[in-house]
Amino acid sequence: MPVVWLSLLLLLTVGIEQMEWLFRLLEPDKRQVIYARASFFALLMQHVLVVGIASLLAVIIGVGAAIAVTRPAGRDFLPLVSQLASIGQTFPPVAVLALAVPVLGFGTLPIIVALLLYGLLPIVRNTLAGIGGIEPEMREAARAMGITPGQILRQVELPLAAPVILAGIRTSVTINIATAALGATVGASNLGDPIISGIVNGNTAYIVQGALLIGLLALTVDSAFERLVRQRQLTPAHG
Amino acid sequence: MIELFDVTKRFGHETAVDSISLRVEKGELCALVGTSGCGKSTTLRMINRLIEHDGGEVHLDGQPVRSFDEVALRRRIGYVIQSTGLFPHWTVARNIGLVPRLLKWPKARIRQRVEELMQLLGLPVTEFADKYPRQLSGGQAQRVGVARALAADPDILLMDEPFGALDPITRKTLQHEMGEIQARLHKTIVFVTHDMDEALALADRLVVMHQGRIVQQGKPIELLHDPVNPFVESLLGGMDRGLKEAALIQVSERMLPLGPRLLASERIAYGATLSQALSVMLWHGVDRLTVVDEEDIPIGELSLRRLLGANAA
Repeated sequence: MPVVWLSLLLLLTVGIEQMEWLFRLLEPDKRQVIYARASFFALLMQHVLVVGIASLLAVIIGVGAAIAVTRPAGRDFLPLVSQLASIGQTFPPVAVLALAVPVLGFGTLPIIVALLLYGLLPIVRNTLAGIGGIEPEMREAARAMGITPGQILRQVELPLAAPVILAGIRTSVTINIATAALGATVGASNLGDPIISGIVNGNTAYIVQGALLIGLLALTVDSAFERLVRQRQLTPAHG
Repeated sequence: MIELFDVTKRFGHETAVDSISLRVEKGELCALVGTSGCGKSTTLRMINRLIEHDGGEVHLDGQPVRSFDEVALRRRIGYVIQSTGLFPHWTVARNIGLVPRLLKWPKARIRQRVEELMQLLGLPVTEFADKYPRQLSGGQAQRVGVARALAADPDILLMDEPFGALDPITRKTLQHEMGEIQARLHKTIVFVTHDMDEALALADRLVVMHQGRIVQQGKPIELLHDPVNPFVESLLGGMDRGLKEAALIQVSERMLPLGPRLLASERIAYGATLSQALSVMLWHGVDRLTVVDEEDIPIGELSLRRLLGANAA
């Protein structure tokens, strides 16, 4: 399934100019119906890059923080971390952008910060749930066998929590693919550009083009995660 | 050899284990019995330092357990728990090979050891090695649990209600096999249970605990005969103590050689217990049984009088 969505996405990215007649139906009166300020392929790459960087940071920080606060030494910070992550999610990305621009300037950086904050919660929450959901006897048995704390984390806790953690990362990345479009408002060029430009110029065709590609990208990534989770279930010994 | 000297453990204001002293000789199976919350599991877990004791000393072969690195200590002590504690993402073979792997044995030696243990526990290698714990029945999973505990050939085995979650038939089978394995391997075992029949059948030494203290300890037969107080007496079965004792004695110990009389029509195996023999007599309303060997060949006879033995008037 991911392959189908990916081919559809790539096909549309390079072939959207050939579909001018179709978008002409949407906006028969406009001089231009295909967004042309940048190539769709370049916009797609920008989009993937921004979401990729923000998600990678969110995974490192989110999983890392959740692991830290489930160790005996960091347990005091567990409520704080889960609250902070919740606040990150309740804070609208638009507000983060508005606040970040004066500090970080226009461009890609503020949108990465906004996506990072917004994407942390599902990852932190699921990592906490995944590690917390392991039966206490499991950890106790591991300890009793003489497995060191580091080995328990790597060989027992993370593999057992992996499906739940992966689900959190999946939610985070998928949401961020959609949210990243906001970056266009602060000058980060990505697949949000046609949408914003379409809104400003009253050109529905632009909006549809941006939305279509963002939707396909989200479906591609989401189905890729689904495949990953399924493979893990079939071969639980890995990791 | 395991020794506890005045060992105490408090959780907050609660004293879970109250200055107990205990000595388990090498090769001995010591059963800790008592009601829930009497401190028997806590006592067990202070031996491999899953719980640290607050007072007194725990010694292993004459050395305090605190003098060992706790990870190294646990790798030389086998541990079996009721919920098996098998890792669900590992195969049976990987679960069993855990401690040897931690001890960095060569791969070939680990594989050989795992197969050896699977045979010992009656788990055909080709059928079970690559299965995951969720594909096993309760009895099979607990066999894997015992095999895992034995993997690095530890001298000491700690077992916390290992067969408590199994159905009665599987439990009986595993108890019997545990007895046979112990007869071959002579491990030093501390065994926590609240199944008194299990404790009586397996233990060389029985330790009765109540409210964090040891109330009485000794050979099972000693406790059956001379319980120090009504608590021990009722724990050991109250009025059923006669049957419990009879369950510890084999028919072969009381039978007489075949006499000139006709063979009694009802038969009993020479390895059966006196309580089983009594049950057969009650069922058929007879006072004499023919004792047979494995091939069902008569080798002796057992009368009710002989069965009652020393207790008979």
